Amino acid sequence: METGKTKIVLPPRIQRGDVIRVQVAVQHPMDTGFFRDANAEIIPPWFIKDVQVTLGDEEIARFEWTSGISKDPIVSFQLKAEKEGALTFLWTDNRGGKYSGTAELKFATA
Amino acid sequence: MTDQNENGRRRFLQAVGALGLAAAVEGVSGARKALPAMTRVTRLAVGDDPPPIPNEIVAKIYQDRFQGRAITTGHVTLDIPLMAEDGRYVPVIVESDLPMTAQQYVKSLFLIVDHNPDPLVTAFHFTPALGPVNLQTRIKMKRTSWIRGIAELNTGELYASYLKVETTLNGCG
Repeated sequence: METGKTKIVLPPRIQRGDVIRVQVAVQHPMDTGFFRDANAEIIPPWFIKDVQVTLGDEEIARFEWTSGISKDPIVSFQLKAEKEGALTFLWTDNRGGKYSGTAELKFATA
Repeated sequence: MTDQNENGRRRFLQAVGALGLAAAVEGVSGARKALPAMTRVTRLAVGDDPPPIPNEIVAKIYQDRFQGRAITTGHVTLDIPLMAEDGRYVPVIVESDLPMTAQQYVKSLFLIVDHNPDPLVTAFHFTPALGPVNLQTRIKMKRTSWIRGIAELNTGELYASYLKVETTLNGCG
């Protein structure tokens, strides 16, 4: 497993003005700090605590997360496709690790 | 066993059965009236009071995030299995018919699970660039608990939906 690997799914054909569903998955253990491993050692907390979603250079959403989000988080939401640009998710975890994933939002021609 | 005894026994059983049935019926209808709303419904009807604040952590979240503003029930829908087998992966869909225009939009969406170690599971902050709120994710639950989905408009109004979800497997440790 590669921590921080991001997969973003957009509809195959997007036209200006559509309301599209953005689906995103990221690989992350999201450890709460309450579980123990096989040697009874506490697994320290390690979770994504901040998510920044940008389209082009505009921040369109920000998610405050805790370890209450399941392992390998998935999120999907609706977005108004008003402009083209790079849709970027920037994940920041409680250890300062930063991961990101990008998908191009492009309008279908004709 | 004589006939007389057999009859007596049958009468006795019938009487006990009738009593039991009566008690059961009485128990159910009595419970409806006597027990607080929490124990019998999982989905609140229009006009029901929201579930009480369970602990001081949730009270603090309410204080920090909403400053005691009134929360209206409605305009938000939580779609969660009422019986979530695995507390590690509880699928959640939050929908709302609130507008997403530049003048009025859902600024924040909070998910609070009353009995989690960290009850404020997540807070999503939106802008009008997003479409109508229809958000899907997966959360963890420690045990059976009320889930509160609270939407905050940019103008400050708060709308909420509450759902009691039963969990068998602890997902929080």
